[in-house]
Amino acid sequence: MYHYKNSTNFNQVMKPINKYIDHTLLKATATTKEIIKLCEEARQHQFFSVCVNSCYVPLAKEQLKNSDIKICSVIGFPLGAMSTKAKVAETTLAIKDGADEIDMVINIGLLKSKKFDVVWKDIEAVKTCLPNNVLKVILETCYLEELEIIKASELAIQSGADFIKTSTGFGIGGATLNDVKLIKSVCSDCTKIKASGGIKDYETALEYINLGVERLGTSSGIAIIKGTTSNSNY
Amino acid sequence: MDVSKYIDYTLLNPTSTERNIIDLCHAAKRNGFYSVCVSSSYVALAKQLLENTKVKVCSVIGFPLGSTATASKVYEAKQAISDGADEIDMVINLGFLKSKNYVSVFKDISDVKLAIGKKTLKVILEVSELNKNEIIKACEISLDANADFIKTSSGFSKGGATLTVVKIIKKTVKDGLKISASGNIKDAETAKKFIDIGVSRITASSDFKIKQSV
Repeated sequence: MYHYKNSTNFNQVMKPINKYIDHTLLKATATTKEIIKLCEEARQHQFFSVCVNSCYVPLAKEQLKNSDIKICSVIGFPLGAMSTKAKVAETTLAIKDGADEIDMVINIGLLKSKKFDVVWKDIEAVKTCLPNNVLKVILETCYLEELEIIKASELAIQSGADFIKTSTGFGIGGATLNDVKLIKSVCSDCTKIKASGGIKDYETALEYINLGVERLGTSSGIAIIKGTTSNSNY
Repeated sequence: MDVSKYIDYTLLNPTSTERNIIDLCHAAKRNGFYSVCVSSSYVALAKQLLENTKVKVCSVIGFPLGSTATASKVYEAKQAISDGADEIDMVINLGFLKSKNYVSVFKDISDVKLAIGKKTLKVILEVSELNKNEIIKACEISLDANADFIKTSSGFSKGGATLTVVKIIKKTVKDGLKISASGNIKDAETAKKFIDIGVSRITASSDFKIKQSV
């Protein structure tokens, strides 16, 4: 079912909302059984992808074979403080294990140290090992000042990131509309945006989509979909 | 008793800057702490700052969730050692442990230990997420995998070390593994309580009060 974006882009047809969703389970204690359930739900509701920790990429790939649901692996997660070479190794392995997309966390400490060249190289080194796959760069906006969000977005764009992603869900806060507007102001068309952290219902999801967000990272995908169903007259 | 020699002086906050790491290393030197414990991206800097001192460098691995693929943990550990780390603090794979996939939990630890050879390996259990049986099982697996230490907590979860938990660990590992108590140990008196029941290392942050209150 299709909806029309209701603000500035209202002549554009929106994708079905399930296709915006990276169905996500990243808590440390997630069991094999829970990952299997996550994959079943993704298949049933035709979400865009599942997003898991790198130890679960082979299992998710196995569960989702013969489907077009993608696998995202997080990298250097959730602190981003892992050495660049370790991020590269984790990425290479995740791709080999079957990941289609990589969600890496930026090195926040080095960003705050104003070591911008090192932050850039950290992202670029990861992008270089997945030329044909999608790279999302997680900024963890809850820890950043506005200027740092702008700077980090610029560095991500220059490093060849495909998406800028707001949050890990493990920081002190998730996506905000204001942060997304700020990121959008830096990368109007070149890089896509994934909003994540605290998106729990259909109305919130739609607010982000109306701002131009292309992907939503959430563990509430089913609730969001149900919201769609209950608002089907809209 | 001088607790300084028991202290892994720790800064793992993701927003920590180079300046903060420099301050950490200077304080560790000044106080004669056993080591500094940092993220793997800061190992080279810490090593450089602590050259020609006795203060060791610990790097955390697969931190703080422990859900990094085994081969990645191995690589991160090797890289940290080549950057100058003396000790490796890895997080156990909690999801595999909860799935009762003990073979994979063992392999995860054993592969990292094989990769780092004689360097010290601490296995972080994240006890606040585990029940008593899981803590015992995790200790047994770490013992089999030739780890050197059990470390209670990452400091990024619901809770840290308790005396009760340390006693359970001690009863399980006896003298087979040393114990590092971490999370919420804020002063020398508390540290001593842990040391008295057999803890060999204490994780402390910048808010740790080294001086005994009168």
